[in-house]
Amino acid sequence: MTVSFILNGEDVAVKARSADRLVDLLRERFGVAGVLPDCRRGVCGKCLVLLDGRLAPSCLLPAFKARGREVVTIEGFAQTDEYGDIKGGFADAGLETCGFCDSGKILAAAALLERNSRPSREEILAEMSAVPCRCTDPEALVKGVQAAADRRARRLYRRADQ
Amino acid sequence: MLISEVHSPQSLPELLELMRRLPAAALYSGGTELLREQAGKYIFLPPETISIGALPELRQVSLTERYLEIGAAVTLAEILELKESALPELLAGALRGVATPALRNLATLGGNLATRSRFMDLWAPLACLDALAELKDAAGSRWINVNRLADDEGRPAFPPGALLSRIRVPLERWDAVALRKVGLRDYPAPETAVFALAARAEKGILSDFRLAFAGETALRLREVEGRILGRRLPLGAKERASFAAEYREAAAGLPSGLRQQFGTLVDGALDLISR
Repeated sequence: MTVSFILNGEDVAVKARSADRLVDLLRERFGVAGVLPDCRRGVCGKCLVLLDGRLAPSCLLPAFKARGREVVTIEGFAQTDEYGDIKGGFADAGLETCGFCDSGKILAAAALLERNSRPSREEILAEMSAVPCRCTDPEALVKGVQAAADRRARRLYRRADQ
Repeated sequence: MLISEVHSPQSLPELLELMRRLPAAALYSGGTELLREQAGKYIFLPPETISIGALPELRQVSLTERYLEIGAAVTLAEILELKESALPELLAGALRGVATPALRNLATLGGNLATRSRFMDLWAPLACLDALAELKDAAGSRWINVNRLADDEGRPAFPPGALLSRIRVPLERWDAVALRKVGLRDYPAPETAVFALAARAEKGILSDFRLAFAGETALRLREVEGRILGRRLPLGAKERASFAAEYREAAAGLPSGLRQQFGTLVDGALDLISR
C-alpha cells in the first residue's frame, strides 16, 4: 500500500506493508535518525514524534495509521521557534538531558506547552513520564519546562506586540 | 502476517457491511494493546484488518444534563481534555492512571473496553457508574450495561461480531467515590487491577452503593450491594465485618497478593462510607 503523509512539513508518499512500524519507516526510508526503535512497546520514549501535534510513540504506529496525517520528528521540530524556547528554557534551568532522551523530552515539553501554556508541576511530571530516562532530576525538569513556558510566553507577547 | 489487507471504511454503514462480509477481520483503532504484545521488528496483524480509528461516527462526544456519550474511537487523552465538570471523577481518575500521556494519545475508549483477554482500566469505574455500551452489528444496534461485558464467572465476554460504537455514562451526584489501581501501571499483569467505589446517602441512610474490581477477572456483587442499601450510617463494626467477609469470600480465586489488597480496599471502602 502507498502511505501519504506530511513529514516535517513536506508531503511524502511511501510504499509500506501492514507489518511496518512508522519508526522503522522513518529511519529506513527517510533517514530520520531522531527516532530510535528500542523497546518497541511504547514505553521507552526514544521514538516519540508529534502526530497531528500530539505526542505519540512511533513504534506503536503501523505505517497505515500515518496516512493523511502530519508527523513531526525532532529534526523538523528543531526548525521551529518553539524548539528554541524549550532548549533555552532547559539551559536556563541548568538541565542537561542525555542523548537517548533529549529529543523525547523536548517533544513532550512541546506537546504539553501547545495545549497548556502554564502547566503545573504535576502536569509537567505526568507529561514527562512518557520519557522514563532517569538522567535528569525531576525537579530540574519541572524548572526547565517552566522556564521554557516563560520564554515561549515572552516570544508570543513580542510577536503580538509587533 | 507481514502483509495483511487493511480496510479503511469511510462511514459506519460501510464498516458494518465490511464486518458482515469479513467476519474474521480484526478491528483496529488505537492498537496499543495489540502492538504492545509484539516487540519484534514487524507487526503481525490478522489477514484482514479494518481500521476504524478515523470514522467520524465513532469519534463523537455529546453531553446532556443527565449523561455523557463518548464514541468508541475517541482517545483516552481526548476524553481527559473534556471540561472537568463533564467528566465523572471515577472515570477521570481511571483515565489518568492509564500508562503515559503519549500512549493515551493513541489508546481509545473502545479498545480499552473491548479487550478480550482481560479487563483494562476503565471497566471497573464504568461498571460502577452503570454506564451503557452501544453495540452494533449487521442486525441493528442495542444498549447493554457495561457490567454485561463480563460473564457469570467474571471473565471478559465481549460479544463476538459486535462493534462497540459508544458509551453512555450517567452523570450523577455521589457522596463518596474511591478509585485505586493496584499492581503494575504500564504493563497489565495478573496482579494489576482497578478498584472503584461509588456511594451516596440520603438522610443518613445509604441509598446507593456500588463496588467493582477488575483485572484478569471482574467482581461486582450486586446481592451484597442490595443488602448494604438502606442501612443507617455509620455502619456498625459487626455489619462492616460481615460485608467485608462476603467480599473476601468472593475474591478467593484471585492471586494471593491481589486478594489481600482487595480485602484492604474493601475495608477502606466500608470505612469511608461509614465516615
